[in-house]
Amino acid sequence: MSLKLTDIVKRFKTETVLDGVSLSVGRGETLVLFGPSGAGKTVLLRLIAGVVDPDGGTIEIEGRDMDGVEPEDRGIGMAFQNFALFPHMDAMANIASPLTARRTGREAIAETVGKVARMLKIDHVLHHKPKELSNGQKQRTALARALAGAPQILLLDDPLRNVDAKLRFEMRLELPRLLRSQDATVIYVTQDYKEAMALGDRIAVMNGHGIQQIGTPEDIYLRPANIEIARLFGDPVINLLDVVPEAADGSGGVQVRLSDQPVALVGGYAGTVGTDCVLGLRPEAMRFVDPGTPGAIPVEVEAETPLNEKTVTLTLTQRGREIMVSRPSGMPGPDQGTAYVAVDAKDALLFDRATGQRIAPGAHSPALQEDVA
Amino acid sequence: MDTVSPLERVLRGLAITVVILFFMFPIVWIFLMSFQTNETILRVPPSVVFEPTLTNYTALITGKLETAAGTLEIAFMRNLWNSLFLSTASVAVGLLLGVPAAYAFGRLKFRGSEDIAFTLLSFRFAPPLLVLLPLTIYFQKIGLADTYVGLIWVYQLIVLPLILWIVRGYFEDIPADIEYAYRIAGHSWFSTFRKIALPLAGPGIAAAGLLAFIFAWNNFIFALVLASADKQPVTVGALAFVTASGIQYGQVAAGIVLSIAPTFALALYAQRYLVEGLSLGAVKG
Amino acid sequence: MTQTAPAALPRRRFRVGRRALPYLLSLPALLTCIGILIPFFTAVVYSLQRYRLSQPWARKFNWGENYLNFMSDPAFWNTFKVSMSYAILTVGIELLLGLGIALLLQKRTRFNNFVSIMLLMPLMTAPALASLMWKLMTNPGFGILSYFAELLGFEDFRWASDPSTALLTVVIVDVWVYTPFIMILLLAGLRSLPTQPFEAASLDGVPRLFVFWRITLPMLTPFLLTATLFRVIESIQQFDIIYAMTQGGPGDKLTVFQVEAYLNFFQFTNVGRSAALLMILWAITYFLSNVFIKNWLRLREKQRGEA
Repeated sequence: MSLKLTDIVKRFKTETVLDGVSLSVGRGETLVLFGPSGAGKTVLLRLIAGVVDPDGGTIEIEGRDMDGVEPEDRGIGMAFQNFALFPHMDAMANIASPLTARRTGREAIAETVGKVARMLKIDHVLHHKPKELSNGQKQRTALARALAGAPQILLLDDPLRNVDAKLRFEMRLELPRLLRSQDATVIYVTQDYKEAMALGDRIAVMNGHGIQQIGTPEDIYLRPANIEIARLFGDPVINLLDVVPEAADGSGGVQVRLSDQPVALVGGYAGTVGTDCVLGLRPEAMRFVDPGTPGAIPVEVEAETPLNEKTVTLTLTQRGREIMVSRPSGMPGPDQGTAYVAVDAKDALLFDRATGQRIAPGAHSPALQEDVA
Repeated sequence: MDTVSPLERVLRGLAITVVILFFMFPIVWIFLMSFQTNETILRVPPSVVFEPTLTNYTALITGKLETAAGTLEIAFMRNLWNSLFLSTASVAVGLLLGVPAAYAFGRLKFRGSEDIAFTLLSFRFAPPLLVLLPLTIYFQKIGLADTYVGLIWVYQLIVLPLILWIVRGYFEDIPADIEYAYRIAGHSWFSTFRKIALPLAGPGIAAAGLLAFIFAWNNFIFALVLASADKQPVTVGALAFVTASGIQYGQVAAGIVLSIAPTFALALYAQRYLVEGLSLGAVKG
Repeated sequence: MTQTAPAALPRRRFRVGRRALPYLLSLPALLTCIGILIPFFTAVVYSLQRYRLSQPWARKFNWGENYLNFMSDPAFWNTFKVSMSYAILTVGIELLLGLGIALLLQKRTRFNNFVSIMLLMPLMTAPALASLMWKLMTNPGFGILSYFAELLGFEDFRWASDPSTALLTVVIVDVWVYTPFIMILLLAGLRSLPTQPFEAASLDGVPRLFVFWRITLPMLTPFLLTATLFRVIESIQQFDIIYAMTQGGPGDKLTVFQVEAYLNFFQFTNVGRSAALLMILWAITYFLSNVFIKNWLRLREKQRGEA
C-alpha cells in the first residue's frame, strides 16, 4: 500500500522533534530512514503506526487520512528496536498475536506461525518464553511477529541494532530476500549506512528535525546533498579538504590545488572561482601511481589497514593534511616513505564551505544553488 | 565496617536486644496472656510459668462466656466476620475502581491527570472525622447509615489512594512499546489492557490489594462513627468487648490475638511490598 | 502466508474516542471520591453555623463566630497544645529511634533482615488494638508494666489514668506502633544509597561520625523528610490510640483535635464547634500535605528513575 506523509510536525513538551516532514512511499517499495540517533526516525514510525498522534500534518495510507484511525485498524506490522516481546507469552503466542486479533482459526494460526518461524529458523524455540531466548532468537521472533499478519505496510525499527555482529551480517544478507517475499511496503530504520544501502530502494536521510535528502542509494552516495550526508555514507569516511577553486590556465575550466598540484574539476564549476569551498574525495576516488605521473600528488605514507575487501592507507600531504586512500585488497600498495596519488576528478565533490551544501556541476553561483531534495 | 571494635560489637548487640525486647514484648505477653485463666493472670508477682488453656479461645469461638453470674453472649466472631467482609469487599471495590484509574493516570496521561491523582491522594491526608461527621447525617437521610454498603464506600477513602498510587507505578514500569506492539498487531486498547497491562502489573496489583486489606482491617474510626454493634469490625468490637466482659482479661487477650493474626500473616506474605505500600509507591524496598 | 486473508483496508470503527478514554477509566474512582467531597463542603457550612443537635431550632449562620470564640477558649488552646505536644513528641522520638534502628540493621544480613521483618509487627497491629494491648499491660491490678514500675520504685504508677503520665503513656504506644514505619523507610533509603562515597571515605580514613553527618545524613534527607512529614500529618490527627486508651481523659489531658471534635459532636452535640475544630485541623494538614506531596513526588521520581 502506498503511504504519504505531509508536513508532519511533532513536539514533545516544548521540544520540536519533527518539523514539517513530508514523505511518500510507493506500493511494494522499501524506504530506509537513515540518520543519527535523536533524528526522529522512531517517532516517525510511531506516528505512522498510530500509537502517537502528530501535532500537525496528515498521514495517508492508500489515499485515506489516518487521523483518528486506531493503530489496530491500520493494517501495519512493526518490529521494535528493543523487540518489545510480550514477556508473559511464549514465542508462539507472540508471533500469533496479529492472527488472534483477527479471530483466525486455531489450525490456520499454527500453520502460519510455523511457516514464518521456519523461514526465520526459530521453529524449534516456539514454546520458549522471551527470557529463555537468545538475543538473536528474540530479534527473529519480533520480526516473525511483524510478518505473521502479512501486513501491507511493514515498519522495521532498527531491528538489527541490538544483535551481535555475526547475526547482523547474516540478517543483512537474508533480509532483502525476506522483504521481497512479503510484497509489502517497507519502512526500515537504521543508523548503519551499509544496511541502508543494501536494503533501500530509496533512502531518506534524517537529521535535525527533518529529512535532508531522499534518493536512491546511488544518488545519496554519489550526489550527497551536503557535507554531513557525505560524511555519514562511506567507510572510511570521505576526505574533506578546504580549497579555493581557481580558473584553469587557458582551457576555461576550473581547478583546485592540492599540494600545489593542479587538479582539474570536471563539469561546470565556473561560478565557484575564488570562493571558499570544501573538496570531497572518496578514498576510492584516488589511487597510487608511479612517481612522475603528470598531476600526481606527493604524500607521506603513515599507516595501512586492511578492511575486508579493501585496504586503506592513511597518508599525509606536504601540508600535513590527512588523506585516506583505499584500493582493492590484493592490489600492490606503496612502500613506506613518499608515494604519489592521482585523483579521479570526475568523482570529486565540491561543497560550499559556509553552508555545507553540495555545489552541483553546472551551477553558476553557489548562492543560487538549491538543495536537490 | 570490617574493623569493629569488641566494645562496639557489644554495644550494638545490646542495642538490638533492647529494641527487640521493646517491640516484641507486648505481642509475646498478650499472646501468653491469651492462654491463661484470670487466676494466673492476676497473680502477683506475674510469672511466665502457667498451665496453658484454650478456654479463652473456645469461649470466643462458641460465643458463650461462662461467668460466675451466668452465661454471657459475646459477639466477637461476628466482629471478626465483619472485619473480614468489610476489608475484602472494600479491597474488591477499590481494585475495580482503582486499577482502571491507575492505568489512565500511569499510562494514558491526560490533561489534568496529575491534578486529579493528587486530589485523590490528598484525601489520604485529610482528617477523617471532617468527612465522617457530616456523613453520619447524610447517611441517615439516604438510608446508608449502619449498612455495609455505606461502610465500604467510606473505606474507599483509605483503599483507593493506596491502590491508585501503587498500581500506577507498576503500569508506568511496563515499557510502552510492549503495549504498542499489541495494539499494532490488531488488538483494541481494551484487550491490550486485559492481556498485556493487567498480567504484567499483576504482582503490583496483588501487593496493593494485600496492603489495602491490612489498612482496611486496621481501621477504627470509620466503623466507630458509622457502624452499630452488629456491623462493627474487630477494632471497634474489641473495645466494646473489654467493657462488656468486665474482668475476663484472658478472653480480651485471645480476642486481640485473633484480631491481629490475619494482618500479621498477610504482612509476612507481602513483606516484599510493604515498604512500597507504606510510602504509597514512592520507595521500593 | 497466503492462507490468511490479507489485512483489510484501514477502516474506522465506532470506538470510545482516544481522548475520552482516560476520563472514562478514572471516572468511577473520581465519582466515588466526589461523594466524599460533598460532606467536606457540608462541614465547611456547619463550621459557620451555630448548630447543636440538641437544639435544632436554634440553628443559624453565625459566620466566623465559632472560630472567633476559639481565640478566648482555653479548651481550644488546650486541644491545640496537646495535639502539638503529641505530634512533636511522637515524631521526634520515632525519628531518632527509627534512624538508630535503621543504622543498626543497615547491613544486609540474614539476621538483620529477620529482625526488620519482626519489627514490622507492631506497625501491622491496628493502633486501636495496640492501645488495648498496652491497656492490659498497664492495668493497675495485674499489668506487667505496672508491676515493673513498682519494682523500679514508682509507687502506684497509674500510667494513662494519671493526668501527669497520660500523655507519656499514649506517646509510648504511638512510638511502639509507628517507629517501625520510619525505620523501614530509612532502612530502604540507607540501602539504596550509592556505595562509592562511603568506600572512598573509608579508604581516606575519614572518621565515621564525620561520614555520618556529611555523607549519610544529607543523602538520606529526602527519605527523612518524607517519613517525617508523613508521620507529622498522621500524628497531629491521631485518634485511634488516644480514644481507645482514655477517650481523651483523664479530664481534658488528651483531647487532641479529632478526639475533641468527636466528643463535641457525639457527647455535647455541638456540631458547629466540632466542625470548626476539624476545619482548623484540616488547614494545618492541608498545608503540611502540600509540602509532603512535593517531597514525596521528588523521592518517587528519583527512586523510579533508578529502578
